[in-house]
Amino acid sequence: MLTLLRNLRRIRTDIALPAPTRGRSLAVRHVDAGSCNGCEHELTLAMSPYEDVQRYGFGIVASPRHADVLLVTGTVTTRMREPLLTAYNAMPEPRRVVALGDCALARGVLAADTEIVGPVEALLPVDMRIPGCPPSPPTITQALLELHDASTPNREGRRPPPPPRRRIQRSR
Amino acid sequence: MTYRDRVASALDDGCRFAALYAVGDLVRAVLVAADGALRLEAVAAEDGRVPTIVDLAPAAAWDEREAADLYGLRFDGHEPLRPLVAHDLDLKTWTVPVHGDDAYQVAVGPIHAGVIESGHFRFHVVGDKILHLDARLFYKHRGLERAAEGRTLAEGRAYMQRACAACAVSNSVAYAHACEEILALESSAELARVRTILLELERAWSHLNDIAAVCAGAGLAAGNTFFAALTERARRLNERLTGHRFLFDSVQIGGSALSLDAEAVEAAREELASIAADSKSGWRELLFNSSFQDRLPDIGVVTANDARALGAVGPAARASGIADDARSYSTRLAYDGFAPVAPRRLAGDVQARLEQRAVELLQTFDMLDDLLDRPIAPTEAVAGGESVTVGLGLVESPRGATLCAVEHADNRIARVHLRTGSYANWPVVAHAAAGNLLPDFPLINKSFELCYACADR
Repeated sequence: MLTLLRNLRRIRTDIALPAPTRGRSLAVRHVDAGSCNGCEHELTLAMSPYEDVQRYGFGIVASPRHADVLLVTGTVTTRMREPLLTAYNAMPEPRRVVALGDCALARGVLAADTEIVGPVEALLPVDMRIPGCPPSPPTITQALLELHDASTPNREGRRPPPPPRRRIQRSR
Repeated sequence: MTYRDRVASALDDGCRFAALYAVGDLVRAVLVAADGALRLEAVAAEDGRVPTIVDLAPAAAWDEREAADLYGLRFDGHEPLRPLVAHDLDLKTWTVPVHGDDAYQVAVGPIHAGVIESGHFRFHVVGDKILHLDARLFYKHRGLERAAEGRTLAEGRAYMQRACAACAVSNSVAYAHACEEILALESSAELARVRTILLELERAWSHLNDIAAVCAGAGLAAGNTFFAALTERARRLNERLTGHRFLFDSVQIGGSALSLDAEAVEAAREELASIAADSKSGWRELLFNSSFQDRLPDIGVVTANDARALGAVGPAARASGIADDARSYSTRLAYDGFAPVAPRRLAGDVQARLEQRAVELLQTFDMLDDLLDRPIAPTEAVAGGESVTVGLGLVESPRGATLCAVEHADNRIARVHLRTGSYANWPVVAHAAAGNLLPDFPLINKSFELCYACADR
């Protein structure tokens, strides 16, 4: 155990990630709406010591009830439409939607038309688009930083106006 | 001989069930002999009905249910023929009835608590004890096989690759082998070497990821983080070598465009040696971490008989004592003299499956060290063999034997079917869960670490 921890400390020292310059926090709920598993694997490694997205106070939470951000991967399949909307409607305001990866943005999607609903923005208001097939861990971190900073008070203390309360109609 | 008799006699000859799929009015079953020879049996549907083989090969259960849902076939003798891919149905139609005092259901998913793919698990439990598990997947069904129909053979590769990022190379190579069989092409020695390198690079990052996942499942954060760091290094190496962290687009039909000079190959060898050394040291730490090791034995047990009957493949099957590995007979790849490795205990539990990954990982690093001994140049497949109407490719993915079948008309895909190691092993996960405690399921699931994407397609 000690050797593991010592090795981890060595990795951290070698990588020497810059420390965050200001306090931030984002609670992210991930929903896989029909991905190829690539975005999931990259999102997982955004939490490896090489990227450590948690150093900014960004973390994955287990429930949409705890989340600021809904991070959606994949093209939305017909079968994931309802679970995705349920997760969105369970989130407190203010909330943001991030479409992660080319499939979620309807770029170069490979699928039968009858099996998919379309890109994330066909169902939900998308606040941030992260292109890539799949986007790399640093790309994911950078996009979340931009999303955070665009949604929080600037130096003059002016907060951007909150978006109107939205409830997406479910089909059933 | 009838279709059932032919399948039964193939199984008696020592063949293993490898796939079953519908094409037009036909149902084809693919069987693989112990020496890797592939056998095709077909039966024509009469009024949409065909005889089942599920009593002969229980591993065919999911395949027949899929063909029933997607192609409207009925399998006589397969009772009850529960829906598998079709959703929007009453709970009673797709779950196994479980009755008894205090028996109730726990529904999990399709959205899970971590960064996990979508799928639904219906646990039938008494208290914490799992009596039965119905795994309902196909939430991510994108209709990839149907979408690929009508495309050229070259275009089809993207569909099979995108079935799953974690098995992108395995699925692409299985598809390329099937296409090359159709086109009467064989691998040149160099092509075999390049593809073997790509397959083993995929196995390396995948097995590192799986070890990290089991650490996470047992709550050992330090082990998870350590192996996640090694996974990251392996993926960075992939990018340096092929331009993509998941080795996308590195497999083409009829040749390989990959070019690496002596310097690049040597740098890759050095990095791999360093990752191998760190992974060995990390593994030693896991072995001597008694509270971690205490979580692993005797849960999620799959006996050798059950593994064989259910058609388990890959590390999961080998951890139960079934020494089958498609690399032993991959004539189109550079696995000369390959012999499957096994852990110390063949108990078929979480510990055995984890250790299976660790010993295979060492073998993979050794193979890569041998294979990367010289530069890699672009190369072409060579003419050889006879052209066939149904092309078949069988490749050992990190999760087990993956079979791809391609049928074509005028070089366009008439039907393509991909049966991955994950697809074969999902029913085994459900079987392994029964009799265990519900809180142990995440760990049992992680010890298989299957993809949902390449089962759902």
